[in-house]
Amino acid sequence: MNRKDLYKQEPPPFGKALLKHYALDPEYINLNNGSYGATPRPVLEAAQELTLLIESNPDSFNRLLYKPKLIDVRTKLATLIGAKPDEVVLVANASMGVNTILRNFDWEAEDVIFVFSTTYINVSGTVQSISDCPPFPSICEVPLNFPMTHSDIIESFKDHLKANPASPNKKRVAVIDSIGSNPGVLLPWREMVQICREEKVWSVVDAAHSIGQEVDLNMGEAKPDFFVSNCHKWLSSKRACALLYVPERNQHIIKTALPTSDTYIRPKDRLKPNFVQQFESNGTIDLAPYLTVADALEFRNWLGGEHKINTYCHDLAIKGGRRLAEVLGTRVLDPDGDLTVNMVNVELPIPGSIKWSADIDATMMQKMLIERKAYSAHFNHNGAWWTRCSAQVWNSVEDFENIGKIWREVCADIVKELKE
Amino acid sequence: MYNGSCDLRLLRDAFITWFPEARRMQLLNRNDLYQQEPPPFGKALLAHYALDSEYINLNNGSYGTTPRPVLEAINELTLLVESNPDRFHRLLYQPKLVDVRAKLAALIGAKTDEVVLVPNASMGLNTVLRNFEWNKGMSSSHVLKLSSKVSTTYGSISRTIQNISNVPPFPSACSITLNFPMSHSEVIQTFKEHLKIHPAAPNKKRVAVIDSIVSNPGVLLPWKEMVKVCREESIWSVVDAAHSIGQEVDLNMEEAKPDFFVSNCHKWLSAKRSNQHIIKTSLPTSHTYIPPADRTGPNFVEQFEWNGTIDFTHYLTVADALEFRNWLGGEHKINSYCHELALKGGQRLAEILGTRVMDPNGELTLNMVNVELPIPASIVWSKEIDAVLKRKLLEERKAYSPPFYHNKAWWTRCSAQVEDFEKIGEIWLEICDELPQE
Repeated sequence: MNRKDLYKQEPPPFGKALLKHYALDPEYINLNNGSYGATPRPVLEAAQELTLLIESNPDSFNRLLYKPKLIDVRTKLATLIGAKPDEVVLVANASMGVNTILRNFDWEAEDVIFVFSTTYINVSGTVQSISDCPPFPSICEVPLNFPMTHSDIIESFKDHLKANPASPNKKRVAVIDSIGSNPGVLLPWREMVQICREEKVWSVVDAAHSIGQEVDLNMGEAKPDFFVSNCHKWLSSKRACALLYVPERNQHIIKTALPTSDTYIRPKDRLKPNFVQQFESNGTIDLAPYLTVADALEFRNWLGGEHKINTYCHDLAIKGGRRLAEVLGTRVLDPDGDLTVNMVNVELPIPGSIKWSADIDATMMQKMLIERKAYSAHFNHNGAWWTRCSAQVWNSVEDFENIGKIWREVCADIVKELKE
Repeated sequence: MYNGSCDLRLLRDAFITWFPEARRMQLLNRNDLYQQEPPPFGKALLAHYALDSEYINLNNGSYGTTPRPVLEAINELTLLVESNPDRFHRLLYQPKLVDVRAKLAALIGAKTDEVVLVPNASMGLNTVLRNFEWNKGMSSSHVLKLSSKVSTTYGSISRTIQNISNVPPFPSACSITLNFPMSHSEVIQTFKEHLKIHPAAPNKKRVAVIDSIVSNPGVLLPWKEMVKVCREESIWSVVDAAHSIGQEVDLNMEEAKPDFFVSNCHKWLSAKRSNQHIIKTSLPTSHTYIPPADRTGPNFVEQFEWNGTIDFTHYLTVADALEFRNWLGGEHKINSYCHELALKGGQRLAEILGTRVMDPNGELTLNMVNVELPIPASIVWSKEIDAVLKRKLLEERKAYSPPFYHNKAWWTRCSAQVEDFEKIGEIWLEICDELPQE
């Protein structure tokens, strides 16, 4: 059924009934939306139509048709996050967005870059590679060991800033996750951004998981210096697309897009900001993921809108997490209840003495994804094993129960195999 | 383990049921298609592309076109990914990626571990140039910049170089002017003269960005000879070969020995093993990045396996594109046809327009040919004229071969199909008549 007709009907209730509107294998228990997202069928349909339009006349599309569609998407995303359209551009993914920001700073030897022990692996790699090149700015890593509370995190951040004050005329840059990956927890990022402002530290918010999961984002209020979020994770759009938010006051920092565009103008020759146009054309790419963000938003409106979707998912994460912990006989990683948005982390029944290894990692994926067709992300953190479950619109508590039984088996197998 | 063929049939049926548009695409199972003889080159092949049959497309050079069997392969792979994104991204894609890299390496005479994939040539060039540790005053020569404002080095690449020279430690950029028509020996002469003017300084590097085939005009440069000159002069050669793969046959990195080579259409970055240490990081950096001081072996291939989430179908269906081209007869057969056509078509177009082909010695034309447009030289390039031409061609007449202004003349670059040259000749005559009046 084409989506125009589909959207005239009432949407199905949240839960299993929605699964048919995704292209997921119905036998696969998918409790890991957080890693790669999942594209609703109507959005795949829209992408397919767009692809055929592009292929029928690539020159006409790339030279004449595409720009207004891009502006439309940027405007819609800007509205969603409380920013001005000319402060929002699209990039390939969050890793690219963070690289664009960090590699545009003019680094100096006494600069300090703050990261956290839970910073996403590609991002900490990026910071490491910057620190490895002249003029070798230094890195300060703030350890975060969950479970911990928001006030603990803020305290720790403040302590580390104190311990690494700014040198005269040198800068400090903090890379702050809004929602971490492993574990999948909400950080007090708004308070940390506020602290950065007070301490004159540049705040680069890696909000890869935020859009489509955190409601009522408002850049005008939160005022981060830079903010990057993936649209294909929780905003239902096609892999892969991220928004890069740079408020007007900071656009001079972003001298160049990566890769550089033919619209780049030497800074001293600029009469006005050279930001938005630099991100319009950065080499030939498949434009379907960027442009069908509009179709993703249409799908989500049909389902009831951001608040309705996220109320369901959040409640499910809480309920499902509790049920999973019961089935596993373990605990939920959320002492105060302020760490869980739509992802919940539950301990796995594997002794802490068993350390992470590439072998165990591979075995877990084999047993879960290939043998049992079920998955929720797994990781080792603070001396324990955890699974991170994403509560999405097609999930229900039943999924948490079922995966609980599966994890119990798999963990028992792994422990047994290691003993032998 | 996943059962490939069974699931794919189900996927295809599901796809066509769910997306009735797919019927319009006339999806033909490519296994059956490849058992038939391919149609002859020319209009008969149009059926195997998704181009609007009324559109005269003489500009494959800008964005390429995807054959229908490859679109079919992409759709199948998309559904495979969507059925279980974790299984695909964590377990299935890596061996497929290695397979594509191996096939591309074989095509260009390189080792598999010297070839990685990146999103496009601009990204490949940026990855190379931004990994050098630049020093103040060190030259980065970019070849081919016109005395008028348009550079024959591709726009985004000359801006990349400009940006690198605009930030600390401000290495200098030197542009070399090339005015076509000129012969290969003139190009080499000019290049050598410029290198003399900017000799190496102690502890400083010289880096040359050399197009294999330029965009505007669409001409073949003597890049292999220029790479050799670079080697003799201890200059790093970065070859922007965006147009090469699938157009230049018999590429052989072992013979040509460029320091770095990037080519589009199949989109990949090739770095000779001995130079891989220059590429300290991919862009964006990967979690597999290891600080140089800690490396016990090259850290090249693994850094380009995971650079954040992307749509992998583009990289992985390169294998399907190669299969399609093999079905058509292979690289030599395809390119003999296209090259002959570019020559014949270019001559015919110049006749119709009453102008000339930009190729005095016959060395500049591969599958793209540049023909002068009958627009008086007094009309210089401007954004407005560019927009007017695009509108008249693409919107009003459904035809396109890109116009550009070079060396005080107007030209159009055609990427090869015969009757199409004649038709577009008529169209250009009309448009060039209208333009001075407006």
